[in-house]
Amino acid sequence: MLRSLTAGIVLAFAGSRANVARTILSCAGIVVGVGSLILVVTGSDFGERFAIAYSETNAGRAATFEISVMEEVSDQEALEEDIRRAGAQEVSLFQTPSASVLLRSGGTVIDTADFRGVDASLGEIRRFTMAEGRWFTEADLESRVPVLVVNEDLANAMGDRERVQIGTDRWTDVRIVGVLESSGTDFTWQSAYLLRSPASEDLLFGPPPPGQADPYGDYMPSGGVTYLARIDPGDPAAQDPTGTMFHERLTSTAWRWGVRSSDSVWGYRIDGADVIEDAVTYLSWGLAGIAAITLTTGLLGVLNVGLVTVRERRRELATYRALGASRFTLFVVVVMESVVVSLVAGVIALLACWALVTAAAAVLESFVSLPTGVALAIPPSGVLVGLGSAAAVGLLAGIVPAMRALRSSVVAGLRE
Amino acid sequence: MAVGAAAPALSRPGTAPLLRAEGITRHFTVSGTRIDVLHDCTFEVGRGEVVAIVGQSGSGKSTLLNVLGLLDRPSSGTYDFDGVDTTRLREGARSRLRGEGIGFVFQQFHLLERRTALANVGVPLVLAGVPALRRRARARELLESVGLEHRLHSRPHQLSGGEQQRVALARALSRDPALVLADEPTGALDAASSTMIMDQLLEQARVRDAAVIVVTHDPKVAERADRVIQLVEGRTR
Ligand SMILES: Nc1ncnc2c1ncn2[C@@H]1O[C@H](COP(=O)(O)OP(=O)(O)OP(=O)(O)O)[C@@H](O)[C@H]1O
Ligand SMILES: [Mg+2]
Repeated sequence: MLRSLTAGIVLAFAGSRANVARTILSCAGIVVGVGSLILVVTGSDFGERFAIAYSETNAGRAATFEISVMEEVSDQEALEEDIRRAGAQEVSLFQTPSASVLLRSGGTVIDTADFRGVDASLGEIRRFTMAEGRWFTEADLESRVPVLVVNEDLANAMGDRERVQIGTDRWTDVRIVGVLESSGTDFTWQSAYLLRSPASEDLLFGPPPPGQADPYGDYMPSGGVTYLARIDPGDPAAQDPTGTMFHERLTSTAWRWGVRSSDSVWGYRIDGADVIEDAVTYLSWGLAGIAAITLTTGLLGVLNVGLVTVRERRRELATYRALGASRFTLFVVVVMESVVVSLVAGVIALLACWALVTAAAAVLESFVSLPTGVALAIPPSGVLVGLGSAAAVGLLAGIVPAMRALRSSVVAGLRE
Repeated sequence: MAVGAAAPALSRPGTAPLLRAEGITRHFTVSGTRIDVLHDCTFEVGRGEVVAIVGQSGSGKSTLLNVLGLLDRPSSGTYDFDGVDTTRLREGARSRLRGEGIGFVFQQFHLLERRTALANVGVPLVLAGVPALRRRARARELLESVGLEHRLHSRPHQLSGGEQQRVALARALSRDPALVLADEPTGALDAASSTMIMDQLLEQARVRDAAVIVVTHDPKVAERADRVIQLVEGRTR
């Protein structure tokens, strides 16, 4: 008597514990599957935004071309006009001064900064995030002194940002209107953008001072120029990997700016938007495939538990029917239970991913400073995909047990 | 009335019967062999009438009750409930009719485990779409009417057999059904509990004008019915 009682208790406990373990295990499959899916979405979203930020900061926005003319250009205005005619929507000078430029502020002289002569329109081509001040405006063209925007590294190296001079053989006072945010995407050390204006004309295009050779003279003869131009990414010329189409468009009228050989004109795409897009697509398909496999395993787990519980609960379900529940109500009851289990697993996965991503973001931030708008975080699409796939898995896994529940007759169910 | 009383007749001449069974048969096929359980069941039951069904074990009483409760379909014959030929109804309509018009009290109670008495009584109301607040109030009221106001939050395994059967009764009556079917509702109960359950069933007939059909082995229960239908080898007498 006592023995059968204890045996009954042991069996009951073992049975229910086995069931709890089964439920938890089936949830585990979904937690892992949904979790990896969320991480895939988060990772590819972050990777894409980082890569685009990198490309936009260091090269330019989608379909940025670099155009160099390595021969003396007789008419820069005509050249710029032709770059526009070849398809460019924005054109900016991107000129390395003919002599190395020094910078002096306070007592320090900096000779390692990278100077570029640019137009205000460069702000439309590249992604710049200002740490202080502003980017160039049209009004800066009127300035009597050359106008600069420097990066944070250079700004920090300066003793006094109010009194700054630059020069090749003699000092010229300059005005700094803005400081660019340095971030993990920015690999130039100290750099300065010098606005092309009457005040900076000499520094950019003047002959190198006597005794100082043009550092780039070997491949960029004096009178040569470099431009950045942004063209519509949908333009066939932007999609031409060899750049031939753009080159042909541009050089057809090279005589207008005094260039005879089309070989001395270079023009090719430098931004990585198309490459990034492809890479992210392949990568996320691969990872999503893995996540889908895990998720399928989770689905089978929930399905198994669903089938077992439906069999165990035939009497309960038949009772519902006897009390007036329609077959559809029963179907919904069974499917919903499966959906709820999966959603709970999905929420657990989401919380786990959130903790993981937050921790990873903290570690990452301690190594590199991420550009504005490129934080490592679960994007809304990740939440949506995660919970959506969890619900979908629950739905799929619930349908078979629900069909099973419908098939058994009420009378038979009540006899159980 | 005594066991084996007169042929079916309307207890209240002039009102249409609530249900009418005509030539109902039911057979099962078990591994190729046909088992005829109900042969010819013909009778009517009116509103406010209490009918006892008696018969030997295996005579088909539960099978008949399942047909009357729309849980099962007869193999042949017609069964009209409230003027509707139920044999022609689709499953969905039968479920609706069952929920709205029929209350069951089972011999084995069939309460939902791990749910409180209040929740159990509330299930038909959930199915009827009664909002939570009104549902709770109604369930409480019903449990009070069967004398279980002190057991609202108990689960089935915490209740005695008689108490469980009263919860089942409260649940059966929760939507104020026109027909109450009870399959040996007092089978497992002592005399006092048994009397209490019957009092409730009779009240539903007398006060709420419901038809009550009770399957029973207990002569004391059969005695309190208006009429007794005897089932002998699947035929009503
Ligand atoms: N689903 C079924 N399949 C096969 N045979 C069945 C089925 N349901 C009932 N029977 C048979 O029908 C006969 C009547 O069963 P039923 O349960 O209606 O009897 P009963 O009169 O309620 O008996 P009791 O008084 O013992 O409850 C029995 O012989 C039973 O074996
Ligand atoms: Mg029976």
